[in-house]
Amino acid sequence: MVDAGSVVLQDLVYGILEGCVFAVVAHGLNLIWGVTKVVNVAHGEFIMLGAYGAYFLSAWFGFNPLLSAPIDALIGLGAGVLFYFGFLHRELRGKETVTLQTEMVTLVATFGLALFIVNLATSIFSVNPVGIPWNPGVVRAGPVSLPVGSLEVAAISVAVIAATHVFLTRTYLGSAIRAYSQDIAAAQLVGINPTFVAAVATALGLSAAMLGGALLTVWLPTGINPLMGQTFAPICFVIVVLGGPGKMWGSLVGGLVLGVIINVVPAFAEPSVGASLALAIAFLVLIPVLLFAPEGIVR
Amino acid sequence: MRLPRFSLPQFSPTFYGLGLVLVVLAIIAPALPILSLRFLTNLLIYTALAYSINLITGLTGYVSFGHVVFMGAGGYALGYGASAFNLPPLAGVALGGAAGLVLALGIGIVTLRFRGVYFAISSLVTALAALQIVLVTPVLNDGRGIGLDVEKVGYPARSWFYTIWLIVSAAVVVTYFATHGRIGYGIRAIKSDEDAARALGIDATRLKLYVFMLSGLFAGASGAVFVWSTFGVYPTVVFDLTFSLFMLAMIIVGGMGTNVGPFLGAVIVYVSYWYALTVPSLLGLAFAAIGVIVILVALLIPEGIVGTMRRHFPGLRRILE
Repeated sequence: MVDAGSVVLQDLVYGILEGCVFAVVAHGLNLIWGVTKVVNVAHGEFIMLGAYGAYFLSAWFGFNPLLSAPIDALIGLGAGVLFYFGFLHRELRGKETVTLQTEMVTLVATFGLALFIVNLATSIFSVNPVGIPWNPGVVRAGPVSLPVGSLEVAAISVAVIAATHVFLTRTYLGSAIRAYSQDIAAAQLVGINPTFVAAVATALGLSAAMLGGALLTVWLPTGINPLMGQTFAPICFVIVVLGGPGKMWGSLVGGLVLGVIINVVPAFAEPSVGASLALAIAFLVLIPVLLFAPEGIVR
Repeated sequence: MRLPRFSLPQFSPTFYGLGLVLVVLAIIAPALPILSLRFLTNLLIYTALAYSINLITGLTGYVSFGHVVFMGAGGYALGYGASAFNLPPLAGVALGGAAGLVLALGIGIVTLRFRGVYFAISSLVTALAALQIVLVTPVLNDGRGIGLDVEKVGYPARSWFYTIWLIVSAAVVVTYFATHGRIGYGIRAIKSDEDAARALGIDATRLKLYVFMLSGLFAGASGAVFVWSTFGVYPTVVFDLTFSLFMLAMIIVGGMGTNVGPFLGAVIVYVSYWYALTVPSLLGLAFAAIGVIVILVALLIPEGIVGTMRRHFPGLRRILE
């Protein structure tokens, strides 16, 4: 017999572990949004591609998701450079502030990209979900069981976010990226090449998104499908707004909040409505945050 | 005694042209075979949806990614009315429009405060949350959907056609008045620079909300016709974001904020979609192709077909809008 308290505790632990992965997935969006002020609507599709990358690496070479993640991240770097010059460069070039017109054009163009990738993926991969058979066991800690895979993935996620934080605060290029995100004209005055800096930030963003997609597969034992981006993209939007765009630790805080909501709410509701209710609450959290803390809940 | 002088209001040639097309459609409709009528009905449902999203996204520049939520609300209003109160379908369509309008009022009061991407994202998550809520609402059959009584509905292809025809015509008229005169200038000012518009004394909050409510009204009514003509309302169908994407793609291709753009875009996008449906191997790729078209139009000719033609052929500016 399991008592209610330990069920909630177990869900809380799952929520925190999954929240770390949500955080790294949203981290990519956060980087691009924070630096270039452009929202990539196709973000979920890059997560999906990352997950499929891990799947194929596992199916062909027997790699586990932890091994696939760095490979995905490298592919993401290349994809990010292409994405920057294909979609953002035309709009951001020579501008000192991002206008509503730019916002609308990039929203719509990346939305077209999302449509393109989803449907190409659907016709290539088919809609049948797949999964990666990798299960390194479970550790028990008192009443709570901790899957080793999700522990490792959570640790990597936090490490990645910490690494970006160090990169942005301790290196020259990182400072240049932060300078660009604060004031484009002033950054140019001190000799920063705006195109290079924005391209690097975009590449890092998509790299984090695809890496996150690979790590996320641990939580999707049979759930990798071409439409998964449509679930994770809105989750990422909410996480970034919750943490505040451009705040590196914001994605971690937002990710944890959403992970906990999605995993803990079902414990307090009827089993048949729990999952839907949790998702609805997770999405609608955005509205009060925008109303009362539009800069995000992280200082 | 002097009589006040009456004169016909001066409408633009585009408006008369659109009116002519609609009148011709209404005249030839009874003579058409059922399948063609069905095709036209679907086309007009998408046209109405395109005009609906054009009101908010095209005119004010607030990108509404979750516009499908109003369509879903309208569809559920018809389905619930028919199953619980035995409402006739036409009353259901009216109820659907009202549901869309009220929902737009409720959502708009909160989300229209957010600008740019924040509005886009909040509209998206509202639609997704609405789907999740409908999925677990006992009154709405716990997300199993509500089927209409096929025997009672019959197959009134002409009623479907004329109902949606009326909705499209109303949307065209509303769009005309929202792009002309004082209101039109106000809305255009909001799109260009909302703060400047406020400084000039335009009540931006109220104007946006009115436009959004009208937009919800048309989306709700077309959603109800969609449900009526497909004999049932199912959450994963009427809240499918693909509809949102279709509506956006249509106005992007046709030309945002124009009078004839949504019609043009709806015809282009829907006809290519219809064509792809007949070739099974093309279906997935056809959607992908629509994605490519949207990318190219957004990056290269962000004003869409109508806007670009207006820019390059100054002679067209007076007649095409």
